[in-house]
Amino acid sequence: MTVLMRSRAIWVAVLLAVVAAALPWWISGYLLGVLTVAFYFGVFAMSWDLLFGFAGEVNFGPTFLIGLGAYTAAIIDARWGLPIPVCVVAGGLVALVGGLLLAVPALRLRGPYFGLVTLVAVLLLQNAIVIFAGITGGEIGMMVPDVMSVDASHNYWIALAFLVVCAILLFGLSRSAIGLILQASGQDAIGAQALGFDVTRHKLVAFCISALFSGVAGAMLVFYQGTASVSTVVDLSVGVQIIIAAVLGGRRTILGAVLGSIFLIVAGEFLRPLGQLNTFVVAAVALAALLFFPDGLLGNLLRVKERS
Amino acid sequence: MNDAPLLSVRGLTKRFGGLVAVKNIGFDIRPGEILGLIGPNGSGKSTVMKLIMGIERPNAGSVKVDGVEMAGWAPHRIARAGVGIVFQHSRPLHRQTVLEHIKLALLPDSLVKLAAEPHVHQRAREIAERVGLAAVMHRHPATLPFADLRRMEMAKAIARDPKVVLVDEPFAGLTVEESAAFSELIRGFRAEGRAVLLVDHNVKSLSALADRVLAMYLGEYVAEGTAEEVMRNETVRRVYLGGKLELHQRDRAAANAKQPILEVADVRVLYDKACALDGVGLQVREGEFVSVVGLNGAGKTTLFNAVSGLVPYKGTIRFNGQDLRGMSGAAIARSGLVQCPETRELFGDMTVRENLDLGGYHVADSVRAQQLAWLFKLFPILESRQSQTARTLSGGEQQMLAIARALMTQPKLLILDEPTLGLAPVILEQLSKALDALQKSTPITVLLGEQNVRFALPHADRVYVLEHARIVWEGSAPRFEQEMGRAFLEAAPPRDSNGMPTGEAGVKVR
Amino acid sequence: MLLLQILVDGFAISSLYALGAIGFTLIFGVSGILNLAHGGVMLVAALMGWMLAGEAGLGTYFGTLLGVLAGLVTAYITYLMVVRPIQRSAAIPGEEKEIFVLTGTLLWGIMIQQGMAWLFTDNPVTMRPLIRGVANLGGVRVPYNEIMIAVVCWAVIGLLWLFVNRTRAGKALTAASMNPRGLTLLGFELSRIYLLAWSIYGVLAGMAGVLLASFLGVSTNNAGQLTASAFSIVVLGGLGSVSGSLMAAYVVGYLETITAYLVAPTLRPLPALLLLVLVVYIRPQGFLGRR
Repeated sequence: MTVLMRSRAIWVAVLLAVVAAALPWWISGYLLGVLTVAFYFGVFAMSWDLLFGFAGEVNFGPTFLIGLGAYTAAIIDARWGLPIPVCVVAGGLVALVGGLLLAVPALRLRGPYFGLVTLVAVLLLQNAIVIFAGITGGEIGMMVPDVMSVDASHNYWIALAFLVVCAILLFGLSRSAIGLILQASGQDAIGAQALGFDVTRHKLVAFCISALFSGVAGAMLVFYQGTASVSTVVDLSVGVQIIIAAVLGGRRTILGAVLGSIFLIVAGEFLRPLGQLNTFVVAAVALAALLFFPDGLLGNLLRVKERS
Repeated sequence: MNDAPLLSVRGLTKRFGGLVAVKNIGFDIRPGEILGLIGPNGSGKSTVMKLIMGIERPNAGSVKVDGVEMAGWAPHRIARAGVGIVFQHSRPLHRQTVLEHIKLALLPDSLVKLAAEPHVHQRAREIAERVGLAAVMHRHPATLPFADLRRMEMAKAIARDPKVVLVDEPFAGLTVEESAAFSELIRGFRAEGRAVLLVDHNVKSLSALADRVLAMYLGEYVAEGTAEEVMRNETVRRVYLGGKLELHQRDRAAANAKQPILEVADVRVLYDKACALDGVGLQVREGEFVSVVGLNGAGKTTLFNAVSGLVPYKGTIRFNGQDLRGMSGAAIARSGLVQCPETRELFGDMTVRENLDLGGYHVADSVRAQQLAWLFKLFPILESRQSQTARTLSGGEQQMLAIARALMTQPKLLILDEPTLGLAPVILEQLSKALDALQKSTPITVLLGEQNVRFALPHADRVYVLEHARIVWEGSAPRFEQEMGRAFLEAAPPRDSNGMPTGEAGVKVR
Repeated sequence: MLLLQILVDGFAISSLYALGAIGFTLIFGVSGILNLAHGGVMLVAALMGWMLAGEAGLGTYFGTLLGVLAGLVTAYITYLMVVRPIQRSAAIPGEEKEIFVLTGTLLWGIMIQQGMAWLFTDNPVTMRPLIRGVANLGGVRVPYNEIMIAVVCWAVIGLLWLFVNRTRAGKALTAASMNPRGLTLLGFELSRIYLLAWSIYGVLAGMAGVLLASFLGVSTNNAGQLTASAFSIVVLGGLGSVSGSLMAAYVVGYLETITAYLVAPTLRPLPALLLLVLVVYIRPQGFLGRR
């Protein structure tokens, strides 16, 4: 039953990936740019879903981890001119440390307190960036001397490849034995412990993985856009968009987060002419989704399968 | 058979703040033995189970499994060392099948093994077959009935191959047939040489299964022995049932002629698929005092919560001729049907006086002052402790406050749910006197739910016996003393092929 | 001299913070909600007050009143159209309701912020003070407005205290924060009690918003920071504890004022955040919290 479903879903995913790879021959550079950002966003959202859906922790400030990765990479590149891959890895590692810092209170706090910690972390990072404007470029942001490519199609394929690799890794993880243990740890910690699983250790691992992928994706985004700024990688509203993308796509599906991200970014672009109202509309749509379709797109599809 | 105990508990103690939940509990379970741990709500039996499993850390005492001291270990270590638990309720993963749940239980606690070993799948199937889930292996938990979910919990425990198995309330929510099947599985554990600890409210349900029984009350050891020995033990009877029955003369025959003020018909309640009430019906007439007698876990609280509109139910409940369906809990209370629940639900940080005032909130000012004066006469201790916060009162005083507060609302029908739980006999005397005074001075109607038969009987006009989600007996108080009195704590009355009680025990359901 | 200035300014801003924070903690205590649209509520009150007083020419008094009213309405919308529907939704599992409410109020707060920015742009606005003129306290120049704000805040806090401790409705509210089931059993409709709590909150937050507009000025960019300050204070003081919030408001208010005067105005929000991090790591239940 599930095996059948899974293989069908995988075929669909493969098909979508192939179609996506072929797009540069048909659509404009502008649209490719939008999708490129959407793909990186997809990785942000998948990382969030791993933490939420599988370790049961709500991170209200995913941009803390993303921002750490992005700015680390940007600063290293700007100051020491190291090659891009090194900067990206460094970004990922710093984000990893950030994830561990977040994990410590998470494992001791319950309920709304942990959410607050994650929010505070973002605000602190934001303030730190503004304070050390000399290094970080402050509110305006900073330019990065290197970019991955100037060609829209190349950037697109890099982003797509990155997304596919991350999706395979994260989805595979979620479906593996470890994913099962993580899910159990998140949903019923006592039950999981009674089955002999060290829930604390598994949650720590979930934090680290989420942090690593977020940080690396953040760094790569910087080397695509050529800039790092608070409004693109740290701001609270970006974090909220990530959460919305994951919820719209379906909590605990991993792949749903990708769909949600693409929908959100593309819709945001179409709504750009509205100016300020653009964010308003997106937030309104998300709120409506929370109220009326809390299971999200893929979540609803999967529920239909379960009942049959 | 090896005689060294597999599970050995000594001096186990646990405090929560000022409350001693478990005091100096000790017992042994040998391989191939089933020990039943019984006690009413608040006796500490569930806490003992959590202490053994590591979910709570003991303040003192030792827990040895196969000679290895485990007290204070983290739960997952204890689980890996051979202690398994079958939870009464668990939260299954909705997107995983039954088989996948069992496979989860077979997995090692590793961070790097991405795929399960090949034999895991085979082993999971075997276990599913053993517990009778072969047909629904590939279905998702949301589609399964309660009994199958309990089997799944059983399967998960079996998968861990534990030396010691803890089973929480083995038969709660199961029908007679399902209970029999479950008993078989538990006997299977015994046959495999494991040590089994069953935790439940009362002896009756465990009597057929347990080799030995240990009774607890308010955290302390009360008695130990075979099921029959424990049921006959004087202390147990006194503590659970209130001891020997004494009947006062009641001259409220006039009440029988009045109209029923409360009619409950064919009420069924499901808690998350577990059957808590199975077609229960009863009547209370105006001015009557009706006692619903039943051991802990029989369904009294569920019944009262259904009547008070606090849980969803099927069936009909009418109060003063009005169908209560659709009314909010607060609306039902305002219409004169007020409950004083087992948990009392006092406003802990408010004073006695403030609690009482809130009770009288919806009553006219002049009446309120009168009502308060009357209640202070009924419960003098409350008057002297007016300015004390509720949290600082003793158990008995809190119970009196809860009853007085409910009475402030000037109810037409007062429901009292297990008012005697955890109270000393001397307090029970005071409560009994107060209830007596209440009956004599007002036309109030009372519905009392109690395990303590000695307390429940003297005031009652009529008695219902609630057992395992059904009404199994109905009659007057004197008849109860004749027919049910002694048998109440002992083995269940004989049942016919439909599981309905028969024989001299008398009146059938509804 | 500077010390006195800090003392006075700090007192005024702390009083303002206290007003908002008490409302925030009241909602948490009674209905268990952390309203992340708090800044939005204050913003609406401030901007509507400013617009109606100035642009619409209704004068400062009416503008202030209507501003508070706008805050009240926003609070109602928050409860009736965001919080309550999520709480009652059958599609969301019980354990996740809290998270969904948090996210929902966050989204709603963003909607308010963006909507207001579209209507009013994100330029800071200042409301004309209710009382003009400047007093001279021991050599320090203090606008009468500032004194009035402190007085008003304390008057409202006093009234609230009287309400909660001396009226029956107030006691019912307190009881709801202790034991909602107990109230239901006594015949109180919880939905009405929640409405009362949100009404009080709306007035408190509305007043805080309007007063802030006349004191320091507001811009739509502040909304997030206002919410952050409120929950910083509330967590520091202990979620659900009104007296804790009061104390913490003064700690935060003074920390901010000292930072602004002695270090740099841009670093204003920093000490509160750092303190919050410390508290969360060391004593998550805050100074006086009980949950």
